[in-house]
Parts: sequence; C-alpha cells; structure tokens
Amino acid sequence: MRGRGQGKGPAAGAGRFASLLLRTSGVPAGLRLMRITISSDPRLLQVLRAMVGYIAQRAGLAATDAENLAMAVDEAASNVIRHTYGSCSEATLALEIRTYPDRLELDLEDSGPRVQPDTFQARDLEDVRPGGLGTYFIKCFVDACSYDQSFSGGNRLRLVKHLLRKVGDESPSQKRG
Amino acid sequence: MKVQVRSVDNATIIDCVGDVDLYSSPNLRDALIKEMHAGAPAVLVNMSEVSYLDSSGIATLVEGLQLSRQTKTRFGLFGLRGNARSVLELARLQRVFAIFEDEQEALQKIPATQPFGGL
Repeated sequence: MRGRGQGKGPAAGAGRFASLLLRTSGVPAGLRLMRITISSDPRLLQVLRAMVGYIAQRAGLAATDAENLAMAVDEAASNVIRHTYGSCSEATLALEIRTYPDRLELDLEDSGPRVQPDTFQARDLEDVRPGGLGTYFIKCFVDACSYDQSFSGGNRLRLVKHLLRKVGDESPSQKRG
Repeated sequence: MKVQVRSVDNATIIDCVGDVDLYSSPNLRDALIKEMHAGAPAVLVNMSEVSYLDSSGIATLVEGLQLSRQTKTRFGLFGLRGNARSVLELARLQRVFAIFEDEQEALQKIPATQPFGGL
C-alpha cells in the first residue's frame, strides 16, 4: 500500500501514489487512527474503498453497511477530484479514519479552493438527469457530514458513522429512501 | 472494468465486468455512444458481473438512456445485483430504466419496449 511519497509525505506532482500511515503513539486509549494519502487519480479510488470497507468491518459494521460507507467516501473523493481539482490527477487527497468505540469518523482533506457548505446539497430525485447523485448517496450512508470550517489548508469534509445502536433504533439500511 | 460488445439476435449487448466508478465509467460511456450512433436497434447492458456502481456509473447509464431517446434505440439493463441494484433503487431509477432479470428475458422483452428504455 505504501508507494511514492513514502517518508516525507507525498507532494503534488509526484505522479500516482498511495501512502498509508498507522499511528499508535500519542493516540488516546480507545482510539485507532489511520491516515491514507493518495494522488487525485481516479484509479486510486478503489484503494480508498478497499481501505474504508476493511476498517469499517473490523470496527463492527455489517458487510453491507461497510460497503455503503466505502461508497460514501468514494463519492466524496470523486467530488473533490472532479469539481475541486477539475479532474487534475496531480493533486493530493488525504483520508483520516478514527475508530472510536461507538463511531467512525472519516476526514477527507483536499487542498483546493474553499467549498461553500451550502453547495453540499442532495438533488431532487424526481429530476432524472446525469450527475448530482453523489451527495445524495453520501447523506444516505453516513449519520452526519459537515465541513470543518476551522481547517485552513483547503477543505475537510467530516463523515461520521455510528457503530452502536440501541434496540429499536433504525438500522442504517432502514434509513434509506 | 472490462467492457465487451457482442451482437445477439437484433440486440447489441455490452458486457461490463468489475467496478464502474469515476475511473472506468468513461469506457462504458464510449461503448454506449458508439453502439447507439452505429444504429443498433436495441442496446442492452449486462450488469451481472458489475461488482460496484457509483454515481458516475449511474450518470453514464442515464446519459445512455437520454441518448437512446435521440437515436430511437431500445435500451435496457439486465443482471443487476448487489450494490448495483441497491444504488439504482436508492436513486429511484428502477422506474425509468427497462430492467430485466437476465439476458434471456431481456432479449425476449426488449422488442416490446418503447424506444427510449421505458416499458
């Protein structure tokens, strides 16, 4: 999984790469932290999906919910590649996954121009046209999503997925539609 | 994703194998445009080996549907399963595509569909 950019961290213009950081020291008890950095090349989206799906299942999500969470990240990353980076594959995307006992927090960071949070709206499903479904899928598959306004290096989209559910709570799949 | 095109009876079948995402969906788009502009009377997309479909893949299918209306091509999907079926349903698009269980049903019923995908 570790490729170019190893050690010093990947730099824009370094070609296609994926690097992975697992941090254990200095991390509070009960938290597992992983950070993956990729170039903004659509070929690497499958790396993100595989990583998120794996971690989500290890954290206790059912296989379908883990796949859905991986799709939410894929859609968010695709949005960054297409819209924020204008399909340039030489920029960088970073995904930090924090596993808490009760939830997963996933921060997707880019270094593009600031996105206005109100543009993060799902479109009307009655409007059948190509495109515009990515945000809808993200909102279907996570419990919370928001931009971190304190992040100054570009955009940081935070996705939250709860792991524990009380008896009687609706399941993630029931949340759909 | 691999895309292969074959002719069966009066239909063109586009076999997709693998993940249809931002990287690979342009391959499917190219095949759809080529076959519809080539005058195929019916174009069917075989989704039975599609393991993953994201919004860019769905956008490609919707684009194919819209193009089929212009070219008067009968257009349908078959073999949807797992993630591909559930995301199409989640987007409530199962009502706008002609969707068949398998190739046999698709070849049997596609001649009776409207030339823009709807049943």
